[in-house]
Amino acid sequence: MKNNQKLKGKDLINIGIYAAIYCVLMTCISMLGYIPIMMPMLTVIVPIILGVPMMLFYTKVKKFGMITIMATIVGIYLCVTGMGFWPILFGVVFGFLADLIAKSGSYASGKKSILSYGTFCVLLFGNYLPLYIDREGYFSTRQSFGAEYINTLGNIMQPWTAPVLIIAAFVCGMLGALLGKALLKKHFVKAGIV
Amino acid sequence: MARGILQASIQNRGLVLDPRTKLVMLFDIALFVLGSAGGGSVEPLVPILCAMPAVLMLSAKKWKGAATYLLVYLLSWLTYTQLVPLTKGAVNFILLGCSGMLSRFLPGIAMGGYLVSTTTVSEFTAVMLRLHLSEKIIIPLSVMFRFFPTVMDEAASINAAMRMRGIYMGGKNVGKMLEYRLVPLMTCCVKIGEELSAAALTRGLGGEAKRTNICKIGFHIQDYLLFVVCLIPYAVWIMGRVL
Repeated sequence: MKNNQKLKGKDLINIGIYAAIYCVLMTCISMLGYIPIMMPMLTVIVPIILGVPMMLFYTKVKKFGMITIMATIVGIYLCVTGMGFWPILFGVVFGFLADLIAKSGSYASGKKSILSYGTFCVLLFGNYLPLYIDREGYFSTRQSFGAEYINTLGNIMQPWTAPVLIIAAFVCGMLGALLGKALLKKHFVKAGIV
Repeated sequence: MARGILQASIQNRGLVLDPRTKLVMLFDIALFVLGSAGGGSVEPLVPILCAMPAVLMLSAKKWKGAATYLLVYLLSWLTYTQLVPLTKGAVNFILLGCSGMLSRFLPGIAMGGYLVSTTTVSEFTAVMLRLHLSEKIIIPLSVMFRFFPTVMDEAASINAAMRMRGIYMGGKNVGKMLEYRLVPLMTCCVKIGEELSAAALTRGLGGEAKRTNICKIGFHIQDYLLFVVCLIPYAVWIMGRVL
């Protein structure tokens, strides 16, 4: 590979492909969020399952900026599907941090990519932020789900859960990365894809 | 099947809208129907927004899509408004869940489907260029745009294949679901993606020169009309705040 740090068409196409896989899977999983107890659990399930495609994506990442763009696109997608503006901001910030971490391992270190994916997952917290900073406003927009849903969700999402969710996203991201690595070893290396 | 249902065809597509109009409309629906922004004062307008995907699909000659959407939406809406108040307990919770969620998510999904199925990738790229976005965002987004139908298609095929082997929710091998679905999906998508990127590179994507685009995009009278429809909820929202 040429030692060229500029993003080329091929890299950008790769980002698009993996972003599409990521978004489709995320949407399927997030449908579970209607069940109140599953709502905070999404920060556990989504990072673990999506660790698989993301670890495959990390094997393609060789240049700075790819993870940032990926996270930004995921943020834009979340915004368009009605999660507000926070995910975009979180996407840019945590994508950039994840990129820095992966760069410090020169995009080849296994440990750094696990840590980096954990950071990447924190962007999911952007979806929950309105629940904490504007509680009344958030629940007033969810009236159509019924009072029972609101009460249950309100009981689960106490203010103290905010740091728990962030840590959960981070830790489960790393777990998902480990799972992804294991599956990668089991299937994709053998098939010659990585 | 030669062509997926979500892939855009240029021939015979009825009323043509500028992709920017469709994007604004999608954003409107995401904000007001899915996100319920604006609260009570905008609420009466929500049915109008919900009807828009059906109207647009009709204008694009997608009879089947429009009919399905209308039917499912009306059913869930009727359940939500008529049937739910009559029930109690667990039945109420489940019905409320299904119908409330369907009537909230369907318009967004239908609008997204309309956007993807009536816009070609070239048009989409042309619009993004017109909006002066960086190429670093445009290329991934347009690839993603092109790739959504493929991923869904592949997922549906894998779903069918795995169902035959008893790997589905409620089947014998639920535990294997994750691995046995994700891995083939990823393998397919990676292969298709490699071919796609080779095809795109031969067409000069990612080259040094500035790319040109022959798609004619621009606003027509139908776009202005839709823009007015899109702006009404905002106006009502702001009025509600001020008064």
